[in-house]
Amino acid sequence: MLLEVKELDVAYGAAKVLHGVSLAVDDNEMVFIVGRNGAGKTTLLKTTAGFMAPIAGSIAYAGESCGGTPAEAMALKGIRYVFQDKRVFSQLTVRENIELSAYMTPATPTQAVEKVLEIYPRMAQFLESRAGGLSGGQRQLLLLGCALIGEPRLLLIDEPTEGLAAGTIAEVFEVLQSVKGRVSMLIVEQNLDVVRRLADRVYAMKEGHIPREFRSASEFQEPDALEQYL
Amino acid sequence: MISTLAYGLTIGGILYIISIGLTLTFGTMRIVNFAHALVYTVGAYVVMTVTARIWDNFVFAGLVAVAVAVPLSYLIERFVIRRLYGQSIDYAIIATYAVLLVGVDVVKWLWGATPMPLSDPLNGAFVVLGGVELPLYRILVIAVALVVFAALEVFFRRTMVGKIVVAGLENKEAVRSLGINVDRFFTIVFLIGSALAALGGVLYAPITSIHPYMGFQVLLLCFAVVLVGGMGSIRGSFVAAFVLGLVIAVTGRFWGPAAETMVFVVMAAVLIFKPIEA
Repeated sequence: MLLEVKELDVAYGAAKVLHGVSLAVDDNEMVFIVGRNGAGKTTLLKTTAGFMAPIAGSIAYAGESCGGTPAEAMALKGIRYVFQDKRVFSQLTVRENIELSAYMTPATPTQAVEKVLEIYPRMAQFLESRAGGLSGGQRQLLLLGCALIGEPRLLLIDEPTEGLAAGTIAEVFEVLQSVKGRVSMLIVEQNLDVVRRLADRVYAMKEGHIPREFRSASEFQEPDALEQYL
Repeated sequence: MISTLAYGLTIGGILYIISIGLTLTFGTMRIVNFAHALVYTVGAYVVMTVTARIWDNFVFAGLVAVAVAVPLSYLIERFVIRRLYGQSIDYAIIATYAVLLVGVDVVKWLWGATPMPLSDPLNGAFVVLGGVELPLYRILVIAVALVVFAALEVFFRRTMVGKIVVAGLENKEAVRSLGINVDRFFTIVFLIGSALAALGGVLYAPITSIHPYMGFQVLLLCFAVVLVGGMGSIRGSFVAAFVLGLVIAVTGRFWGPAAETMVFVVMAAVLIFKPIEA
């Protein structure tokens, strides 16, 4: 397994929000987490990415224990985190956003731009524009493109289709589909249509626990199998 | 009126040079750094001491002052401010104010409490503009402020370090998620800001008298600049500094005692109509 989370407890001060959470992501596997708001999904991703330290349990990445390792060190190990808020660096141009994403990777700025254009060619017309002027969908596609620079091994993506128009959701779906099988992904998502069409496995989260793992498509394709957790 | 405007632009230029460090420190680290005023004060004292005792060359003395300020500010950052990252802003205010108070006492111990003058490095040279004689030194100060602004624009817009800092000002977590140790870059910015504070002290020394408490007065004015310009906004501080410099000069022309008070009236008005976002 590329990522193994075991019996993870995480708290905000005295408030414990994750209770003994365990999950795993294999090489080039696309794993989804579904659950209601407040279930602890974002906390789980942030802890895995190194933005929060667990109070108990373990996180192993590529066979190496790394619970509590800072986010910048986790990124250097090949983990990329795409935040839920779709915030780009609005004062910088799109090209500068891309170059910044490549700064700590082996990719050259030119290769980085090519990578983003490969997954979303229409970004070419915005390269010299301030990223703050992009629409929500364009920002998400830029962030996904930036996350793929430098051949990361694991993407942690928080609600990639949240708040997007139907047409843009289709574009995000295409991007995710195009990289499926080439990189490991752990994705928080509430759009169950997207989940059903892309997932290899699904974890359901509820109140800081993982009550169920759907190990195969046949399990999560059943009517209402996932809906009961939203 | 031309001389009043020139005086206002001079004050604005000095306020900009000093306040840029404060706004960067707040924008990057969310730290309100009162010790900035100590670095400014030390800059003024060092330039005075070097010109009086080592070599009466203002440019050389100014460079020495900036060179002294950088390690001093590094020590403050390393042993005080770095321990306050992520903590309540109140701790930073108390700790850096304590550094300022201790530092001022050290200044008094080294140089005494008596105000001391520094003569015009250009020996009173002036230029005539619109029939009015303007001190050349003040024109030079305005020019230095413009050069600093241009240099910072190039630094923040054209260099990768500058872009990382601009990105970090906006979203520190997102920069960290790219594998970049953003705090290291913020330290560089802190040292640049401190060097500029010392430069502000150097430039203001020939215009004012040098005394241990000179930093307190300018600190309040610089906080007004930072608040009016938008905390963390580099361009905002530039505009605010010159606007407030002109407010001081124009108010002082008509009603001297209210000159600096008017700065805080403007600041209050800005805060009322454009409150700081939490």
